[in-house]
Amino acid sequence: MSKYALFLGCTTPVKVPQYELASRWVCKYFGIELIDVEEFTCCGINQVNLSIEAGLLMAAMNLALAEAKGLDILTLCAACTGALAEAIEKLKDETTRNSVNEKLREVDLEYKGKIKVRHISRVLYEDVGIEKIKREIKKDLSSLRVAPHYGCHYLRPKSAFGGFEEPDNPRTLHELILATGARPVEYETLNLCCGGKVFPVSGDLSRALVQKKLDNLADKEIDAMALQCQTCYLMYSDQQKEVNQKYDKKYNLPVILYPQLLGLALGADPVKNLGLNLHSISPEKIISKVV
Amino acid sequence: MNKVKKMVSTSELDPGFKSDVLTHPDARGLNACFSCGACSAGCPIHEVFPDYSPKKLAKMVRLGMKKEVLSSPYIWYCATCRNCVEHCPQNVKFFDILNVLKNMAAKEGYAPAAWIEQTKHVTETGIVFAKEDSWAKKREALSLRPLKKPGEKIRGIIKETGIGKIKPRVNSK
Repeated sequence: MSKYALFLGCTTPVKVPQYELASRWVCKYFGIELIDVEEFTCCGINQVNLSIEAGLLMAAMNLALAEAKGLDILTLCAACTGALAEAIEKLKDETTRNSVNEKLREVDLEYKGKIKVRHISRVLYEDVGIEKIKREIKKDLSSLRVAPHYGCHYLRPKSAFGGFEEPDNPRTLHELILATGARPVEYETLNLCCGGKVFPVSGDLSRALVQKKLDNLADKEIDAMALQCQTCYLMYSDQQKEVNQKYDKKYNLPVILYPQLLGLALGADPVKNLGLNLHSISPEKIISKVV
Repeated sequence: MNKVKKMVSTSELDPGFKSDVLTHPDARGLNACFSCGACSAGCPIHEVFPDYSPKKLAKMVRLGMKKEVLSSPYIWYCATCRNCVEHCPQNVKFFDILNVLKNMAAKEGYAPAAWIEQTKHVTETGIVFAKEDSWAKKREALSLRPLKKPGEKIRGIIKETGIGKIKPRVNSK
């Protein structure tokens, strides 16, 4: 159907491999071919803190690697998506592109500007499509109430995504959840950041953001949060315990990645295909509602 | 509201600071800022920690408070959500200005160790983490392909940028 270079990013392959597992399974199901590129590295988003030029150069290197194979990129991480898409925007400027290419030549690469970057959710939304997803659903998820969380870099900078989403009122993940048969739940702090990018500098600040969203979701009678970024996942899932301790709370909200939710609806094996046994907060409640 | 109001002495200001910041193309929007505060109003960090204020930081740059801005731990507290950029009526792009400030601060030795360490790890593993033995086992258990060592290219790229030479802030996290 379509073919992409799979951009795993830093965190998914080593800390949340179940996201990779479920993504590969879902892509295979819909005939999306994923090619692994050995030399892909960190997208450069955090290096921007030290040097904007360094971050751009790292993004350009990764873009050039995929381009050399004639492939567009499929991402799993929201932040990689934002960083690579923003780099494509910046590299449209000829002066910037020339200066980046001068440095890329040192490692035998050249960025030509012929590549697209698409997050897996967007590929499912655009390449596969909501109607096709609906037709393939094999299990009944209609008793599941799910809170979507988009991830900031999936939406912003708006200019890098060609009008795909309205950052202040995003809808595509709602539609993707609805397509599985589960019910997306509306809540006030939908657009609240997970704090993942400030976590390395201040755990307390990031947990304050996590707590605000968990607090908002506490009375919404939801079964799970569905996310599309492993960093958001780690914040809401693994930091939930820390938040409980710090704020004297008893949150126990399962958190899953969208391809896992879709996989459940398509009849995938929760453990073997989706790695749902690897979650720090047991998603047993979700699995038991899939009939 | 901030409780502490500090007097600003003109003799301690650096009149060239704003121009230095503005030389970076990403910071050009600063001139259009009229301190409306839309950036701070939509900032999730400001909401949980009011002392961190994009509006205030932008004003401090315009006043020339170089040392206060570059040595401030607050400039590293951005969660990178970019609400400030999307909500600004003047297209100031505070997020991008902040990155310029962080880059200047890093050159002066104020970068948090966390970001310096990540760069070191990227050179060694290709990703922002130091290698752990558990990775291979975890992936193998899921029948995921083994991760390869990064090639020479990333090392060449990091060397090219010079960020490997930046020293971390002393006594900070």
